[in-house]
Amino acid sequence: GPRRPPARSPRAPKSLPGVERGPGCARGLGTALSPVLSGACPQGSRAEAEAMEKELLEDYRFGRQQLIEIWGHACAVAVTKAFPLPSLPRRQPTLLVACGPAQNGAIGLVCARHLRSFDYEPTIFYPKRSPDPLHRDFTTQCEKMDIPFLSYLPTEVQLINDAYNAVVDAVLGAEGTEGTAGTEPCAAILATLRLVRIPIVSLDVPSGWAAGPGGSGDISPDVLVSLAAPKEVARRFQGRRHFLAGRFVPEELQRKFGISPREYPGSDCVVAL
Amino acid sequence: MPGPRALLGLGLLVAAARAGGRCRERGWSWSWNRGWNRGWERGWERGRCLPHRAMHSPGTARPGPAGLRFLGQEEAQAIDQELFTEYRFSVEQLMELAGLSCATAIAKAYPPSSFTTSQPAVLVVCGPGNNGGDGLVCARHLKMFGYQPTVYYPKRPSKPLFEGLTTQCKKMDIPFLPEFPAEAEFIDELYGLVVDAIFGFSFTGAVREPFGSILSTLERVTVPIASIDIPSGWDVEKGKADGLQPDMLISLTAPKKAAMHFTGRYHFLGGRFVPPALQEKYALNLPAYPGTDCVLQLT
Repeated sequence: GPRRPPARSPRAPKSLPGVERGPGCARGLGTALSPVLSGACPQGSRAEAEAMEKELLEDYRFGRQQLIEIWGHACAVAVTKAFPLPSLPRRQPTLLVACGPAQNGAIGLVCARHLRSFDYEPTIFYPKRSPDPLHRDFTTQCEKMDIPFLSYLPTEVQLINDAYNAVVDAVLGAEGTEGTAGTEPCAAILATLRLVRIPIVSLDVPSGWAAGPGGSGDISPDVLVSLAAPKEVARRFQGRRHFLAGRFVPEELQRKFGISPREYPGSDCVVAL
Repeated sequence: MPGPRALLGLGLLVAAARAGGRCRERGWSWSWNRGWNRGWERGWERGRCLPHRAMHSPGTARPGPAGLRFLGQEEAQAIDQELFTEYRFSVEQLMELAGLSCATAIAKAYPPSSFTTSQPAVLVVCGPGNNGGDGLVCARHLKMFGYQPTVYYPKRPSKPLFEGLTTQCKKMDIPFLPEFPAEAEFIDELYGLVVDAIFGFSFTGAVREPFGSILSTLERVTVPIASIDIPSGWDVEKGKADGLQPDMLISLTAPKKAAMHFTGRYHFLGGRFVPPALQEKYALNLPAYPGTDCVLQLT
């Protein structure tokens, strides 16, 4: 007679015997102790974020370009939720996207491209371009989407206030240290961002915040999009909207890094916190 | 004193790579007032299943929105090539966006609550090429959306892209079947939906095993089938009247000519990554996607 399917165990999905399963299927025994529980990395710390990224790349075999694409797309979706097209004050849906030289900047480039496909008009300021071929491809993709690149950022802040509805801060993110935040061109960008009166959307960590304890010199973003999990410095965030772009994090990693599970609406990749 | 925008235009802008202006015109705004038809649920219950073909008479292919172009195979390949060479996208990037579109379309048409199986179990059948890769990405997103996908992936290219996507699925507890269910009835019993990610727009010639047998089985399955880009086994331009009859088609980038022969209930457009300049060049006349959705329902 026909083979009957095996009785389902309470948690395992229906399947045929002999099914291949990855190591992630082991529950309880055998899973590595979370770096959080072992005390190695404080929760929300940069070390923990780096550990998670490492695991996504090495154990889960995500590609770096794939991850940046996922993050950039999620950031763009968050921007559209925080600033829906009909709500923008200016006649043109303009946005300034300030991109730093490292990964946070690359995320900004992908974010800008998706914003363009969502019918916003992003303009990119990307003064110090990464030599990484991956980042160069992201740049070409933006250029080919007719996204203009500014050759310099006006020091007269009023020009920025008048031209754009908001600024996307993809300058330093979690990579900002006291060293990088103080070097050019990031220092000049941050100096300008401190003075703009239009809202700022920071990607992952407001630029300059990771450099040290909060102070009057910090930029004050209106919106924060945390990637994977909120970082420790996000506790200082006092802006209007905080989004989490964490749907891509596999459940096992969420458990391992102590990320509380969240309900994402429908098929959205971001959730408002 | 010129206005701020003019000042920026004169002094600051690095010339964009393309001298042409942007075309903002996406034509009409496509709105299709069609409520979600849950009636199919009752038809699909075990014991009262109707074969697909009885529900749809052949030749009632629905046209798309006026002006929307259906691509030939060579054109589709040319656009793909241009995305990679001119526009410098990587297969990795576009595959992620394509797979996300497929999962999103499935979530819209077949929400987890609509499954008659006790779990929203989905069988994802992945072929030997990029269509299979799209299927792997789709499976991962389906898992994140609350479905219980299972993958069958008999011919795996030994390239880092596909190995990576496979690992991502396995590490997320998505099982990979060691063999294909022998009977269509077995699939009907275990799964509420099948995703056909076997062959895409590059498919030509004869179907090689094991996919011939797989397609024969799928043709007898009564649960809905969602095909990625091209119903597998169909000629990319002419279709295949006696071939697979999927309930859903997710056309990626733009629909291919085969889609004109599609008679299933749901035709979605996905792969929201085509730059405006490329759309213009090939006169794709794509309707506007709603908001930030990565899918657009065509029928």
